[in-house]
Amino acid sequence: MLRFVVRRLIFAIPTLLAVMTMVFVLVRIVPGDPAQTILGDQASAEALQTMRERLGVDRPIIEQYIEFMGGALVGDWGESMVTGKPVLAEIARVLPYTIELTVVSLIIGGLIGIPLGAWSALHRNEWIDYVTRVGSLLGLSFPAFVSAILMLIVFSIQLRWLPVISGGDRSSFGEWARSLALPALNLGLIMAAYITRVTRSSMLGSLGEDYIRTARAKGVPERVVIWRHGMRNALIPVVTVVGLYLGILIGNSVLTEIVFNRPGLGKLIVGALGQRDYTLLQGLMIIYTFVIVIVNLLTDLTYGLIDPRVKYQ
Amino acid sequence: MKHRMMTASVMLAGSLAVFAGPTGPAFAGPDTNILNVGIAAPDAGRLDPHLSATTIDKAVFGWMFNGLVRLKPGTSSPETVEPDLAESWDTSADGLDWTFHLRQGVQCHHGYGELTSADIVYSLNRAADPNRSSFSGDFSVFDKIEAVDPYTVKIVLKNPIPSVLGLLTNYHGGNIVCMKAAEEMGEDFQKRPIGTGPFMYGEYKPQQSLMLVANPDYFRGKPQLDGISYQYVPSDSARDLAFQSGELDMLYGKQDQTWVERTKQVEGAVVHVMEPAEMSVMSLNITSKPLDDIRVRQAIAMAVDREQFMDFKGRDVTRIAKSVVPQGYLGYADMSAVMPKHDIAGAKALLAEAGFPDGVTLKVIHTALPGMLGTMEVFQAQLAEAGIMLDMEVVEHATFHAQIREDLSQIVHYSAARFPVADTYLTQFFHSASIVGTPTGITNFSHCAVADKEIEEARIEQDMEKQKQLWKTAQEKIMAEVCGVPIYENLQIWATKTNLDLGYELIGSLSLGPPVTENTHFIK
Repeated sequence: MLRFVVRRLIFAIPTLLAVMTMVFVLVRIVPGDPAQTILGDQASAEALQTMRERLGVDRPIIEQYIEFMGGALVGDWGESMVTGKPVLAEIARVLPYTIELTVVSLIIGGLIGIPLGAWSALHRNEWIDYVTRVGSLLGLSFPAFVSAILMLIVFSIQLRWLPVISGGDRSSFGEWARSLALPALNLGLIMAAYITRVTRSSMLGSLGEDYIRTARAKGVPERVVIWRHGMRNALIPVVTVVGLYLGILIGNSVLTEIVFNRPGLGKLIVGALGQRDYTLLQGLMIIYTFVIVIVNLLTDLTYGLIDPRVKYQ
Repeated sequence: MKHRMMTASVMLAGSLAVFAGPTGPAFAGPDTNILNVGIAAPDAGRLDPHLSATTIDKAVFGWMFNGLVRLKPGTSSPETVEPDLAESWDTSADGLDWTFHLRQGVQCHHGYGELTSADIVYSLNRAADPNRSSFSGDFSVFDKIEAVDPYTVKIVLKNPIPSVLGLLTNYHGGNIVCMKAAEEMGEDFQKRPIGTGPFMYGEYKPQQSLMLVANPDYFRGKPQLDGISYQYVPSDSARDLAFQSGELDMLYGKQDQTWVERTKQVEGAVVHVMEPAEMSVMSLNITSKPLDDIRVRQAIAMAVDREQFMDFKGRDVTRIAKSVVPQGYLGYADMSAVMPKHDIAGAKALLAEAGFPDGVTLKVIHTALPGMLGTMEVFQAQLAEAGIMLDMEVVEHATFHAQIREDLSQIVHYSAARFPVADTYLTQFFHSASIVGTPTGITNFSHCAVADKEIEEARIEQDMEKQKQLWKTAQEKIMAEVCGVPIYENLQIWATKTNLDLGYELIGSLSLGPPVTENTHFIK
């Protein structure tokens, strides 16, 4: 198991290096100028050139690349070109917000989606199944930013329960929950819609298997048939999908963070892109890649928890 | 089984309800005596008044810093200039020597001591240094800045200029920073800027807010507000909703008629439409074919229907542009008499005369920014009627800024507000030194060079009337050459709650954000 994890992490290194190189090149291919962002549009060409020299973006691209890779490997990711703050510190400051949002959304999604999907499968083609299917389809088709605004109108403007600007207040548990409630619910419901559909179809598949019929024939209680034999086998595809979807969820958090005004990676990357903040963009892309690698690893490890036949070699 | 599932669902619903349950007062507002301001930006830039020129940061600098002089709060006209850090000033007869007598006892924020002439000299030299300032070019005309005594500063100019006081207002490089703090902190100054204004740096939360606290030692008296929470809210809808819910007391508005009408409906809201205007100009690259033929440029000017733009943009937030310098700027001259009337047949005839009876196609690069793109699409449709086709490539905003500076767009749609003196607009957009692609290039996209002489002479002309005449001639020449086609002027839009008394009449603001002064307060 440990060998498996170590090997997977070693395999991730070439991926990370390739991503770093691609990101380095891509952000520089896109037209745009960080110096212009910093100095504004009244700056003369000379002033822009002076600023580019200060930022080091006027040097040969190979030289910049070597410096970037060298720095990144020893943990020096440079300073944000626009704000002048260390990239790692900028990321570290907002990373917890994105992680807590993603994790809480995932929990909400799982808590709603798995039971609802199973329930729907057990009542196939009954009204409850239809309602669930239509509901989850609606959840999937609804853009995150539209549902976010609807939620704000209902909970913040009409009911006045929660603030519009979530802000990520952490002064107390109550404040923390209040600032996280709407964003997490928004992403969680989308997640739930997804999980419901996968769980339903996967459950339908496993309930049709021979071993279910055998278990029933043996006289195993229905509860055990469904939960131990049906559900457990149905969960593998669900975990795969959740793992894959987690990457999308982190991407989706961009819109959610912006609409609810939460700090986070998504907001940081949109800002950095608009400002052509090369160093910050590079750092963020590395983090994103790293997160995806870790999530995939965790997904693989979860298989072992669900299915004892899975061995890690 | 059914029963179990039901229980699970109910428990789930219960836990969600707990999540969303009210746990305390949600909304800041008047009761806290903190002014909550919402700005359309994901985050702050570099919080150094000599570095950042973005609208987002400028409003904050206006609340934190003073200049030697200032424009009367709520106005943006250079004619309202009044003492700020300097109590009075004298000028030599030749206009080269300026002596400023400083106010005594002005304190720098956070205990950095009294502000004296040494700070002024340091700050102005810093603003003039290209390594530490984005505005160094403005100060190239300064020959010497000296401290005569602790409360007297003498500035010697290389040659007289029209707006010495303009450079010394609390705007861009004229913002005075405290020497001890700037020296001590170096590059870190932008993380904790120190000035002398009514509000001082409190706390910065990345991507969230910048908290400013009242300066108890402010020389005009302790501000009535306890502080300002400047909140970075990039989503338009979230900002509007937060204003509606009472979480924001002051709101950066959209230059959009429907926004103004909608926001006016919000209970307890006042919408402010203020100067200076941002003018939308279409710069025509006169060195590119077929725009090098003046008849083609005249045809473009004729194909434009400004009234239609007014209907499109809304008459509460826009006004028709009448010159290549926006209205209200010192030296602006009304050019409507020489502007060609909307005349499609006339435009077609001119094109035919220029040898293009079947029309022309021009290459245009434009930003995807919705406010600007809409204008360009209307422009495109209007020109199409006269047979002038725009082959438009829509790109992301930063890309747009890079590409138009490489002469890749034959027509450049630019929208900008500047220091409200004709010189800044004429110099940056129509003087040959500012042609893009040259080392001194700024935003002259048209390659216009017809009025260099007048622009330069006006800069050093001491007689105000003669100076205005020179600026007028410059505008006439540029209009006649059709270097640019002025379309409309957008005003700055902000909204405040009725329970906020700004303490002055808001007509305009150089920092593009309403000033918050020692007198600004909530009405109980």
